[in-house]
Amino acid sequence: MASNMQDIKRRIKSVTSTEHITNAMKLVSAAKLRKAKATFEKTTKYFHYITESIEEIFNSTTDVPEKYLIGSREIINSCYIVITSNRGLCGAFNSNVIKEAEALIKKDHHKPIIVAVGSRGRDYFAKRGYEIESEYLAPPENISFLETKEMTRPILEMYESGKIDEVYLIYTSYVNNLEQAVKTERILPFDIEDDPEVMKLDKQVEYEPSVEEVFNYLVPKYIEIKVYGSVVESATCEHAARRMAMENATDNAREMLDNLSLFYNRARQAAITNQIIEVVSGSEAQQ
Amino acid sequence: MAKLINLEVITPSKKFYEGQVRMVICNTLTGEEGFMANHAWACKLLAVGELWIQEEDGGDFKCAAVSGGYIDVKDHIMIYTDAAEWSQDIDMDRALSVKESAQAFLDAAYADGAPEQDNADIERAKIELAKSITRMNVAKGGSKRKHS
Repeated sequence: MASNMQDIKRRIKSVTSTEHITNAMKLVSAAKLRKAKATFEKTTKYFHYITESIEEIFNSTTDVPEKYLIGSREIINSCYIVITSNRGLCGAFNSNVIKEAEALIKKDHHKPIIVAVGSRGRDYFAKRGYEIESEYLAPPENISFLETKEMTRPILEMYESGKIDEVYLIYTSYVNNLEQAVKTERILPFDIEDDPEVMKLDKQVEYEPSVEEVFNYLVPKYIEIKVYGSVVESATCEHAARRMAMENATDNAREMLDNLSLFYNRARQAAITNQIIEVVSGSEAQQ
Repeated sequence: MAKLINLEVITPSKKFYEGQVRMVICNTLTGEEGFMANHAWACKLLAVGELWIQEEDGGDFKCAAVSGGYIDVKDHIMIYTDAAEWSQDIDMDRALSVKESAQAFLDAAYADGAPEQDNADIERAKIELAKSITRMNVAKGGSKRKHS
């Protein structure tokens, strides 16, 4: 009995300390989430205008350089930008993205070119023998626009040189604090036809210095903005997912503690009853 | 009363400016150009340079330094730039030190004649130089003061 009580006591101690840790992590994640969400909301609000205006330009002109349009060349090699986090303990956040990316890559019969943002995705694909073209392991919540610029430049260069023919972006999009969804987006080449939301504009637009120059500036900018936006969004989702995971862990730990203390009290009571029986039967035997 | 047009200036980190303006002047790749309401639709690239905004009261121009981008003129004007700073927010000492280091780098690169081909570092140093000079000009109220 006594050894049983000792065991339970030890377990209570360990669960209590786990609960402290997960609770602290929950609070930290909640704070980080708030910060990340502020950045995310700010950027999406503004990027919305930019992507919209760029899309409008793409749609309203017939002079988009052909190399950026779908159908301009046969698609052989694809590049996948997989955005994950650097740390675990965030529920299914990383595995969801990885699952989606892997399904996509497996469908591709050619050698995939993987750009990993975040170490979790890198580790997963590297372990399974995929070649990682490039990796970016800075903490996603501190990533700056300049860094995404560095990130997208080699991708664009590969696209220009014909080494890759399409670029997919796989990231987690933020629905609300409790819900995140994995999203796959093809960012290159553009598919102009299939966007009915944007109406065709029939006004003449002046381009300066030339249509080509303008597009040579806008296309990389568009990609940079898309990538930056999704990194920021993923960081927000990571914190939201971690906060949820930690909240669940804390709740579970508390439930376990309740049960354990019940068992402990039962064992203690049983021990006391046992001792009383021993005392009583001892004194009775003496009479 | 001059007609007004809605202007938005957006950078990656924030909405830099939004409001009804009479005129905005920016430095396109082919030179300074002013845009007012009812301008023909246009999409132009901007060089590193100054951005001048005349607000609806028609007072003095507000001046900011921008580091390249593009302007999209439709029924409203949208300017996207990688970075923008109001004249009063500019850190003169920092601009000066950036300018000096960029200048030193370029001097070293050009010490024995012009390099055969422009490499990325030199290109970047030139842009840094242009940016810091713009910043310093803007901080002093702009290279050419504009009046209403």
